[in-house]
Amino acid sequence: MTEDEKKKNKFFQAVKEFVYGMAAHDSARFALKSRASMEHLFILITMGDMLGVPILPPYYSLRLLPYVVPQISTWKRRMLREKDLTDALA
Amino acid sequence: MNSVFVLILGFLVAFIGYRFYARYVDQKIIKADPNKATPAKMYMDGVEFMPTSKNILFGYQFKSIAGAAPIIGPIIAIQWGWLPALIWILGGALFIGWVQDYSSAMVAMRNDGASFGGLSHKLVSPRARIILLAFIYFYLLLIAGAFGNVVVSTAVGLKAAPMAWLFLTIAGLLAGQMIYRWRKDILLTTLVAVVIALGGIVLGKFFPSNSIIGDNLAGSRVLWAIIAFAFCYFAAVLPIWRFALPINYVASYIVFLGLFFGIIGVFILHPNFTLPAFTGFNIKIGWLWPIMFVTIACGAISGWHSIVSSSGTARQLENELDALPVGGGVMFVEMMLALFALIIAGTLYSSSAGYSEAIVKGPGVIFAAGVAQFLGALGLPAEFGSAYGSVMMIILAITIMQLVVRFMRIATSELLSDVHPIFRNAHVGTLIASILGFILVYYGWWQYLWVLFGGANQLMASLALMMITIWLISEGKPSAWTFYPMIFMFVTTIAALILTSINLLKKVFSGALKGEAFVGNLLMGLMGFFLVIAALILAWEGVKAINKYRNLKAQKVGPAAAVNA
Repeated sequence: MTEDEKKKNKFFQAVKEFVYGMAAHDSARFALKSRASMEHLFILITMGDMLGVPILPPYYSLRLLPYVVPQISTWKRRMLREKDLTDALA
Repeated sequence: MNSVFVLILGFLVAFIGYRFYARYVDQKIIKADPNKATPAKMYMDGVEFMPTSKNILFGYQFKSIAGAAPIIGPIIAIQWGWLPALIWILGGALFIGWVQDYSSAMVAMRNDGASFGGLSHKLVSPRARIILLAFIYFYLLLIAGAFGNVVVSTAVGLKAAPMAWLFLTIAGLLAGQMIYRWRKDILLTTLVAVVIALGGIVLGKFFPSNSIIGDNLAGSRVLWAIIAFAFCYFAAVLPIWRFALPINYVASYIVFLGLFFGIIGVFILHPNFTLPAFTGFNIKIGWLWPIMFVTIACGAISGWHSIVSSSGTARQLENELDALPVGGGVMFVEMMLALFALIIAGTLYSSSAGYSEAIVKGPGVIFAAGVAQFLGALGLPAEFGSAYGSVMMIILAITIMQLVVRFMRIATSELLSDVHPIFRNAHVGTLIASILGFILVYYGWWQYLWVLFGGANQLMASLALMMITIWLISEGKPSAWTFYPMIFMFVTTIAALILTSINLLKKVFSGALKGEAFVGNLLMGLMGFFLVIAALILAWEGVKAINKYRNLKAQKVGPAAAVNA
């Protein structure tokens, strides 16, 4: 591919991303947020003890621990992060 | 003056501002570091913090900040002449607008993605945060009122608009169903939805609202105000994927196509300005300073952008270097949108008399006529162009309105749920926001409502600049580039709000108004004063914070200077 073709492709890619950003990014973000919110809620219900919520995880919840470990730091941060009204616009 | 020259001037200002001034600030003052991890990369929780490509964020930022204001403001402000409006759009965006947008994103990014509420608590004081949130609530109410008025005037003034609006809603609902429930291909869904929306625009020409519901109802402001807020009500309470998101998705294509071809139309027709360059310092709607500076909001500077930049964009930037094109660059694009609106207002009518006759029907009507003219250059029939322009205007206003009403529902629940549990109910919060907005739209005087909205919006911008200035001082960085714009905006907006509130309350207490009209306009006047008082308290807190950081810096330098001596 020549330099000109590469630049043209890069330009069209940028235009595609711009249109996606204008039209669909919000929807995609919302879908990801919904999924992540449900996952975090599930982690709270099963592993809430990590945040001081008195939910003692039973044996079956602890079997999920290896799958939950990669998400624990982001989950804790999200649960404990200071929030206010302006976050509703995020 | 030729309109193409204005566009070229705009491109030049954008180029020089971005390439030299903005880049200097980014590289030498803020010192954006491509190797520093942004909150999006550090936290990546898949909820708010998600690293996103700068091109996608460019489109997202533009869609989030481009509402009705960059269009309505210049169309109204041209009454002082196109020259002062042009100077403010160019100068405002160059020295204040991009500064606020860019630095809001940067400050939030450097503070772990904190929103302005959190930043005001950390940098200023806990009291500042509470006052800021109360300020934001009433500021959003003014947005709902001002934009609601735009929607109502457009629906009343352009009888083709309601049918187009109806079909846009149907297209959006169908798109949501196709994507989220029927799992159809996104390209097919987009095609079907956009064709339905365009079909509605064509049908609007053949089935204007007065032919379906009669002249009385078609011209009824009450009916369209109820419909507008019912629309926002459904957007706030229904699942977002079912109503608000898919309608916004389809609407963004309508707006994008309209703007793209409209600007091509300007280059093809290249009309000259027919309205006068300057009409006077004091005209019927007020003094040039401060009123014109708050009449043109988003095209030059807008506090709304600081909320979007800090709460939304800053949490998605994957690299510090992206803050400049996304935050600063998009502001210059919005400046071009404001110039497009100024060109429409300045070139459409052969004389000031023609403009004066049209502005009575509402700025949305003028915008639709302008879009019709410029799309006509591409061969599209004038009636189709007018219907297209009218639905663009409604989209630009109502997409922000629905977000505002949704936010006010959450705010009502958070602020009042301790007072009574009923306020936790989503319907109650939404109803309160909708009723308050309806009162402003139906009973508020349009000319005062727009200026109050503009004043509140610009005051929000000056408060954002104040927090940015405090952060710069706390970091030991030069702050003159945000401090002086902050002072200018603060003084201008306080003056505009006080003047407008006094004039409004004088009219209210003159005895000319009775009943609900009295209440509605009294509410507006009092809101203006509340915003001024809140801003003065925040400014005082800000002064204390600035002095605190300056004293801290002096203490650090003091012992070192003594040692060196």
